Amino acid sequence: MGRAFLVCRLAARDVRHHLAEAVLLVVAIAAATATLTMALALDGVTSQPYQQTRNATRGPDLVVYITSPSQAAALIHARGVVASSGPFPVASATIEADGRTGGLFAEGRSEAPAAVDQPDVTAGSWVRPGGVVLERTFAQALDVGVGAGVTISGRRFTVVGIAVTAAQAPYPNLCYLTTNTCGNLQTDGFGSEQLGVAWTTEADARALASATVPLDDFALNLKLQDPADAPAFAAEHTPAPGPIISSPADQPELVISTWEGIAAADALLVQDAQSVLIPGSLLLALLAVASVAVLVGRRLSEYARRVGLLKAVGGTPALVAATFLVENVALAVSAAVVGLAAGRLIAPLLTDPGAALIGAPAAPSLSALKAAEVLGVALVVALAATLVPAIRAARASTVRSLAEIGRQPRRGAVLIRLSRRLPVPMLFGLRLVARRPRRALLSTANMAVTVTGLVVVVAFHTSVAKRLSTAGLGPTAGGLSDPVINRDLQMLGVLTVMLVTLALLNAVFTTWAMVADAQRASAVLRALGARARQVSLGLVVAQVVAALPGTLAGVGLGILAFRAAVSDGGTPSVLWLVLTVLGSLAAVAALTAVPARLGARRSIADALASEAA
Amino acid sequence: MNQPSEILVRARGLRRDYGRGESLVRAVDDVDLEVAAGEALAVMGPSGCGKSTLLHLLGGLDRPGAGELWLGDQRVDKLSERALAELRCHRIGFVFQAFHLMDELTAQENVELPALLAGRSPRRARRRAEELLDQAGVADRARHLPGRLSGGQRQRVAIARALANDPQILLADEPTGNLDSAAALDVLRLFEALHQGGLTLVIVTHDDRIAGTADRLVSMRDGALVGERRLTGGARGSLAQFAGLRGE
Amino acid sequence: MQQEVVLAMLAKEPSQGHQLRARLDRALGPLGEGVNAGQIYVTLGRLEKAGLVAREGSSAARADWKVYALTPAGQERVAEWLAEVDWPRPDLAEFHLKLVAAAQAGLADPLGIVDAQRGELLHRLREVERAAMAEPDGSDAGLLLEGILLRLQADLRWLEACERAWTSRRRKR
Repeated sequence: MGRAFLVCRLAARDVRHHLAEAVLLVVAIAAATATLTMALALDGVTSQPYQQTRNATRGPDLVVYITSPSQAAALIHARGVVASSGPFPVASATIEADGRTGGLFAEGRSEAPAAVDQPDVTAGSWVRPGGVVLERTFAQALDVGVGAGVTISGRRFTVVGIAVTAAQAPYPNLCYLTTNTCGNLQTDGFGSEQLGVAWTTEADARALASATVPLDDFALNLKLQDPADAPAFAAEHTPAPGPIISSPADQPELVISTWEGIAAADALLVQDAQSVLIPGSLLLALLAVASVAVLVGRRLSEYARRVGLLKAVGGTPALVAATFLVENVALAVSAAVVGLAAGRLIAPLLTDPGAALIGAPAAPSLSALKAAEVLGVALVVALAATLVPAIRAARASTVRSLAEIGRQPRRGAVLIRLSRRLPVPMLFGLRLVARRPRRALLSTANMAVTVTGLVVVVAFHTSVAKRLSTAGLGPTAGGLSDPVINRDLQMLGVLTVMLVTLALLNAVFTTWAMVADAQRASAVLRALGARARQVSLGLVVAQVVAALPGTLAGVGLGILAFRAAVSDGGTPSVLWLVLTVLGSLAAVAALTAVPARLGARRSIADALASEAA
Repeated sequence: MNQPSEILVRARGLRRDYGRGESLVRAVDDVDLEVAAGEALAVMGPSGCGKSTLLHLLGGLDRPGAGELWLGDQRVDKLSERALAELRCHRIGFVFQAFHLMDELTAQENVELPALLAGRSPRRARRRAEELLDQAGVADRARHLPGRLSGGQRQRVAIARALANDPQILLADEPTGNLDSAAALDVLRLFEALHQGGLTLVIVTHDDRIAGTADRLVSMRDGALVGERRLTGGARGSLAQFAGLRGE
Repeated sequence: MQQEVVLAMLAKEPSQGHQLRARLDRALGPLGEGVNAGQIYVTLGRLEKAGLVAREGSSAARADWKVYALTPAGQERVAEWLAEVDWPRPDLAEFHLKLVAAAQAGLADPLGIVDAQRGELLHRLREVERAAMAEPDGSDAGLLLEGILLRLQADLRWLEACERAWTSRRRKR
């Protein structure tokens, strides 16, 4: 009992004593777990919403577009068909809303619900004369809501509802499956990103047809005994498997799409997103893990001495190990909880599969199992951080560990010789680095991690910009905003913020730790008559010298990581890389100067006294 | 060996407080003090009496809350941080109980440091450091890191470092506090030699043995000077008497 | 100077008076000034009468050419002396009673007495310290001086305790 109390007290005191470090460790682990949470949540994010939508809308197994209603009877009574709806007339029209224009695939529906494919109204109500229901992604692209007035092929309509369907590939992939209507709309000059689906009453749909754009498409929704037979049914009933993209002149008599095809078109929406998100979160996780490793490495060197102290007062190796374990597990668990929560909050931003599907998960499915996985990773980190000092506690002699403070390897003779000829600040800085190679190495590693992150962000931006320009669409093309591009940008924004935050945290931590380490040396130097500015400059030199190789390594690693993660990844321009390097070094210098100047404000006597204690 | 007429350090009404309100501690309370050039002064008192704070004020490591402080003809309590740094660099040498050598520099590099700070050439700094280490009797340890030196050796290196720029005054804070009796004697010998050479010494201590190098001793209690004693002049009686060799 | 010291110095070998003196000087260093030559010859004379030393050879003209040696009785006495565990007793009780008496009779301020005493001890300390600093490392005399220093320090510490005690007594009154 007393022993458990002691262990907890020691752990708590240590956390309080090194509060900033503990907080940073929590943040780093939290970032890693948040990323992991998102990556796990992303898993299967598209298949499930489509399935949900399909269930909610009594989605068809097959959608058949026919040119004349008379073709319907044979199909409805074909073998294996158990339910059907339609044929519904489909008009190609143009829609104008608030200055934005688009091509419309207007399906005429009965006001009564259909047995197969009854679009699920997510806002407002179902069709009525003069009232149109817009497909959700398309409504978002047009930026209209329920109650808005729109002009469809010159006639005024009111938007009475917003709905989703499983029978159509959603905007902007409507014409992924070719139909006559698509052909008509494309000849009218609309690009695929400008085409969407809407439902009107049957009469309204027929009324939209005109002499120039006759009604030549009817939609027939079929439900099969066994949905898995859909491809076979389609193959059997498609008269001539013509080319996938047909010209209007060469109109097939009927076009059959299977539910699997529609699901694949649906997934297209998210595929692009995944191509950004998966490597992005992988990189984030790598960075977070790297910064955790650096932090843990630093704690290990501190633990080395605490092991000696604890053993000197009679702590058994088990007690020492228990103390570190309690401390690290407490930190890791709180970090994992923060990470899970953050991941849950951020994930929908990244994984929202779009308005097209009902299943657009508010929170991507996060099972207890996945949460446990995340927690497990955090615990592994904690255990790793405990293992080394625990082993040391068991093996190292007490005296050796106590003497750990005084043990400095003597290396870096070249740096020292070099420093002889330099002004005092540089001499001070270089010698600080040369005499504490382990500390300097940690700074270098930290900087490498940081810059890797920055380079990846830069590379990402370049790659997305390239994609946008090759796609030839700005968000303003045709007055509609492309949800795919929008989501890519949104995700990139979130990832950028996270990467930059981590990088900044890393840099702040590195410089802060370095200045803290050099606190006594700085005070002594001031007591000997060095000016505050000389001391700060020396610290900046030390930090930049340690950071430089890390920065260069970070550029290389960043490019490698990005190439590995993004298959089509180009390299960011040299200009950007140079700017990144210079910017990071400048940031490091600035971040060092701030705590150094603050430290210089403290009275020398204080600084020396606190260190002696 | 002394010219008591020439005052090197003059403090008037020196005061330094820590904390405020209820927890206000007057570490140095209205201290008047004069130190003649060439004098060796010991400031004694129990721990916590404010003697270290007084020394930090005298050495420009800390600023007084009130009062005046003169070093020679120069008033130093109102100097800018930068000017204080100059002062510490050229005119004041500091020796600490905890040595405060820079762990990452060798003994010699530690001693070179102040000279380099003062802008001397590396070669001159090195020569001076060698001289000083030799004088302090630790020339053979010049290339060692402080971690490899004994306490007495570290303190002697620290003293050598304090002398690197030929300061006018050497301030020492419990210089023998961390040393055993033999090492303390070595340090006292070094101080005595410096004193004989004309250096002004102010030593803060609770070790009576420092009296061996001091001309004058002031006692401090609760931040104030409470007594002063001149030690030059000798005791009533001979060494043999103290040893019980001669009958009463 | 105790007789036994002179006696023990003879134990090494039969010696003349000036040789004894040189031996004492080496061991005492600067403290040897306190031992004058005449004292040694007076002591030797007394020891001879007591039958503890005997003169070797018969007819030396001058006192300092006479060679003295230990008699068996003398050797016995030296052995006894080496085995003795007597220790010089520091007379603290007297000083303590001085303070008490001064305070009770109101004759003098005990703190003043303590302060004066400390002054004296500090002066002594300074002299001994200087003598110690002048000794080369490892000299016999250095060791003796260190012993004196440590005792003086102990006395000074006791005076500090006296000062604290009398200060607090005065406050209570």
